[in-house]
Amino acid sequence: MMIDRRLIQEVDWVLLGLVLLHSLIGVFFIYSSSHFLAGDYYVRQLVWIGASLIALVLVLVIDYKFFVSLSLYFYGLTVALLAATLVFARFIAGTKSWITLGLMQFQPSEMAKIVMILVFARLFAEYKSAYLTTQHTLFALLLSGAPLILIILQPDLGTAMTFLAIIGGAFILAGLRRKAIFFFLLAALVLGIGAWSVGLKDYQKKRLTTLVNPFHDPRGSGYQVIQSKIAIGAGGLSGKGFMKGSQSQLRFLPARHTDFIFSVIGEEAGFLGVLAVIVLYFFMLARMFLSVAKARDRAGVYIIFTASLLIAFQFLVNILMIIGLFPVVGITLPFISYGGSSLLTSYIACGLVLNVKMRRFANV
Amino acid sequence: MPEENIYEDLSLVCRRANTVFWVISALIFLALSYYWKIQIVDHKKFSGLAEANRTRQRALAAPRGLIRDRKGEILADNGASFKVSLIRENIKDMEASLAAVGRLLEIDVETLRSRVEQYKDLQQFEPIVIEDGLSSVDVAPIESRRLEFPELVVDVEPQRFYPKGALAAHVLGYLQERTPEEIRAEPDRAARAGEMVGKTGVEREYDNILKGEDGKIIEVVDSLGRVRAEKARQNPVQGGDVVLTLDYRLQAMAEEALEGREGVVVALDPRSGEILALASFPTFDPNRFITRFTPTEWLQLTNDPLSPLENRAIRGLYAPGSIFKLVMSLGGLGFGYVTPDTSVYCSGSTKIYGAVRHCWFAPGHGSMNLTDAIKNSCNIYFYTLGRRMGIDMIAMAAGRLGLGKKTGVDLAGEKEGLVPSSEWKTRTLKTPWYPGETISVAIGQGQLQVTPLQIAALTALVANRGSRARPHLFKSAPAGVKAGPADDDGAGAAAAAEPPFKPSAFESVIAGMWRSVNDGGTGKGAFVEGMDVCGKTGSTQLVSRESAERLSRAGREIKAHSWFSGFAPRDNPRIVVTVLVEYGGGGGATAAPVARRIFELFNKEIQGK
Repeated sequence: MMIDRRLIQEVDWVLLGLVLLHSLIGVFFIYSSSHFLAGDYYVRQLVWIGASLIALVLVLVIDYKFFVSLSLYFYGLTVALLAATLVFARFIAGTKSWITLGLMQFQPSEMAKIVMILVFARLFAEYKSAYLTTQHTLFALLLSGAPLILIILQPDLGTAMTFLAIIGGAFILAGLRRKAIFFFLLAALVLGIGAWSVGLKDYQKKRLTTLVNPFHDPRGSGYQVIQSKIAIGAGGLSGKGFMKGSQSQLRFLPARHTDFIFSVIGEEAGFLGVLAVIVLYFFMLARMFLSVAKARDRAGVYIIFTASLLIAFQFLVNILMIIGLFPVVGITLPFISYGGSSLLTSYIACGLVLNVKMRRFANV
Repeated sequence: MPEENIYEDLSLVCRRANTVFWVISALIFLALSYYWKIQIVDHKKFSGLAEANRTRQRALAAPRGLIRDRKGEILADNGASFKVSLIRENIKDMEASLAAVGRLLEIDVETLRSRVEQYKDLQQFEPIVIEDGLSSVDVAPIESRRLEFPELVVDVEPQRFYPKGALAAHVLGYLQERTPEEIRAEPDRAARAGEMVGKTGVEREYDNILKGEDGKIIEVVDSLGRVRAEKARQNPVQGGDVVLTLDYRLQAMAEEALEGREGVVVALDPRSGEILALASFPTFDPNRFITRFTPTEWLQLTNDPLSPLENRAIRGLYAPGSIFKLVMSLGGLGFGYVTPDTSVYCSGSTKIYGAVRHCWFAPGHGSMNLTDAIKNSCNIYFYTLGRRMGIDMIAMAAGRLGLGKKTGVDLAGEKEGLVPSSEWKTRTLKTPWYPGETISVAIGQGQLQVTPLQIAALTALVANRGSRARPHLFKSAPAGVKAGPADDDGAGAAAAAEPPFKPSAFESVIAGMWRSVNDGGTGKGAFVEGMDVCGKTGSTQLVSRESAERLSRAGREIKAHSWFSGFAPRDNPRIVVTVLVEYGGGGGATAAPVARRIFELFNKEIQGK
C-alpha cells in the first residue's frame, strides 16, 4: 500500500524533529558516559535509532485502524509470550524479562505496552457515554490485569508501573466516577500493603526505604541515588563540560548511559542543560498530547493519549528517580537513554501518534 | 468510512486528555525546581562530595634526620627500602609471568603463586607486594629490565639505617611502629601507616627534631580506586640532624674494652658534662627493629635474662662499693669529722657495735691518714669514719654529691638509685635504723644503689673540685630547630653555682685518687704514662663476707661487681671514665684496665687534636 502524497504532507515533522533531536542529545551523552568502555555504545545507539525510524515508518504506512482491529490478536500473542517468558527465560539482572530468539533478545513486556495502547483504543472506541459503567470497568480491568500480573511476576517493577499508568490513564479518559476512584485507591492501598508484606523482593523494599533516606544504605541501593545526586549537584549552573564530569568519567555514577543518563546531563551540562532538555521535552510532550484535538475518532484519541502518556510517565519517573524523589525502579528516559528495546517502543508509540494525526481527514 | 464518525463529539475526552497533560507538565516543572535546589542552592555541598569522591590522599614518608657524633661521623643514616609489587592487569600470560618473575627475583614459583592467590580479591590494577625490604642491589636487575616486565613495579621508601650496627645502640635507641594507642594519644599528629617513631634513646628523646614532615600526594581516583592522575604533591621534608657529644672512636673502644662482659663504660667531659662514650653490654642491633624481627627473635630478645635492651648505664642499679669512699671522704672532710691528717690504725679487722668487721686486706694496712685510706681503699678507716658521721650525715653528703636522684641526662627511663637514711627506713620499712647498718653503707654496701652514670657524674664533680655539669648527649641541631636538653631548673642551677664542699676537701680526695693510680694503690691498673690519672676502684660484695668465704671453701667462686671511676689529668681534667663490669671480681684487677684503654686512646688520639 503506497502512501498518498497528501498524507506525507500531513506528517507532523516538528514532532518527528523533536524526537530525533532528543535521540541525538542521547547519543552525545551516551558517548560521553561510555567512550571509555569497550562496545561503542553510541554507534549501537545510532544503529538502533535507524532501526527504530524504519519501524516508525512502517507504523505510519498502515492505517492505525488496521492495528486497532487486530489488537485482540496481538493481545493474545503478547500474553502467551509473557507466559512463555516466565517459563523459559533465564534470569538476567534478577528478572525474567528477556526472551531470546536466535541472536535477538527482546522484552515481550515492551511489546505489551504498545499492544495495550491498541487494546484500549479498541475497547473504548465505541464507548460514548461520559462515565464508565461497572461492567465496562471490570472487563477492562480483567483484560489488562492478565499481562500486568505476568509482568509483576517477572518481576519487573518499572514496566509494571508504566503499565499501570497506561491503564489508569485510559480509565481516566473513559471517565471514572468518584466512587470508582475511591474504590481504586482503597484497593491500591490494600494491594500495596499486601504486596509489601509478601510480594516484594528484598531489593525492591530496600529501594523504597532508601527513597526516604538514601544514606540508610549508602553502599547498597542508596549508592546509586547518592552518586546521582552528587553528580547533578556538582554540575551547578553550567556544568563541568562535555566529557568532564568526574562522577560519570570516573565511574562513580551507576548505569550512566542507561537509566541515569540524565544525571550525566545534569553533571556535564549543569542546570542550564537540565532546563533545556526539560523544556524541549515539554514541547515534545505538548505536541503529542495536544494532538488529541486532531484525531478524527475516539480510537485515535485513545491512541494519542495513551501513547503520549507512556512517554510522559517514563520521563517524569526517570527525572524524579535520579534525584531521589522516586524509588529506583529501572525506568529509562525515552529517546535519550541507551537501549534498543526502549528506543523501539518509544518510536513505535510516537509513530502511532503521528499515524493518527496524519489521518485526521476521514475521506482518505 | 461511516459518515457519523467525522462528526463524533470528542470534546469531553480531549478535555480530559489535556487535563492529564497539564497535570504531568506541572509535575515536570516541580521536578525542575528540585533540580534548581540541588544544582544551584546546594551546589557547594555536592561539589565538595564529588571532590571527596574523586581524590585520595597518600602520605609520603619523610626521611629522619641523621644522628652524628661530635666529629660528624654518621651513627644513624637513611637507607632506601625497595618494595617489588606485581600488577596483574599488565600480565598477558599469568603462568609465564610468574615463572619469569620467579627466576628474576629468585623466588619459588609456588610461593609467588600463593602470594598472588592470597590477594586475588584486590582489583586487577592494584599492586600485590611480593617482596619488600630490598636493597638497591637486589632491585637492580628489575630496574634494568623494565620493558620486559611491565607487571613489576618498584617503590622506594626511606628507611632508618645504622651504619655502625650495634655501636652506641643504647644511646641511639631504636624505632618501632607507632601503636594504635600512641596514635590515639596524639590526635593532632598526622598518622601514616607503618610510621616508625623513636622508642628509646636519642631516637626517642629528639624524635621531634628527627622525624621531619611527611609529604603527601593528592591523587585522582575512579570509583574502583584506580589512580588516574596526580593532582597535587607536597614533598616530604627530612628531619633535622642531631649532633651528639659522643666520640665514635671512644665509643668503639669502650665497647671493645668490655670484651663481651656484661657491664658499662661511661666517658664524659667533666667541664661540660658532654658524654663522650656510653657503652652498655650486652647490646643489640637497632637495624633489626627496622627490618622486623621474627616472633622467635623478638621473644629471645625480650626474654633474655641479661636484658640486652636495658641501658645499664642509666637503668642498672648497683651498690657502689668502695667508690662510695669518695663520698665518705668528702662528707667527713666537709662536715669536719676528719682532717686530711686524721689517722686510723688498720690491723685487718676491728670490732664495731659488737661485730667483727674485716678489711679486704687481711694483714692490715697499719696506721693511715685519709689519702692513704683512699689509695688503699681501707675498710677499717671508713668504718671508723662512718661510725663518727652516722647514717644521716652520710646520706646528706651523698645527696649533695648527686646520688639518690637522676642526673638529668637526656635519655628516658633513667633511675634514681637509693641513698638510705634513718628517715627513709622508718618511712618505707617501718623499722628504726640500726647503727650496724651504717657500717655497711660506709663502704658502699647495704641498701645503697647507684647507676653507673651517677658515679660518672659524681666523679666529674670531684674532678671539677665541686662544680657540677649535667651529663648530656645532645650537642647541636640545625639552626631554627627548637630543641636541646631542657635547662636545669632553678634549684639545680643554684646548686651548680655553689660547690657542695670546700675546695680543700676535693684536693685531699683527689690526692688519694691520684695515689691510688700512680702510687701503687688499688687503681694502679688504670695508670697511663704522663697522664696523671686519678681514680678509685670498687668491688661490691654480692653476698656477705661469711657466706662468700663458705662458698669459696666449697670450691665455688662468687665474683663481685667490679668498679673503677676516675678522671685525667689531675689538673684541668678533661675526661672522666667510669667502668662497671658485672661479676668482674676486684675493681682494681678488672675494671681499672678497661678504663686505662679509654684513657690511653683519649691521650693518644683525641686530646691533641
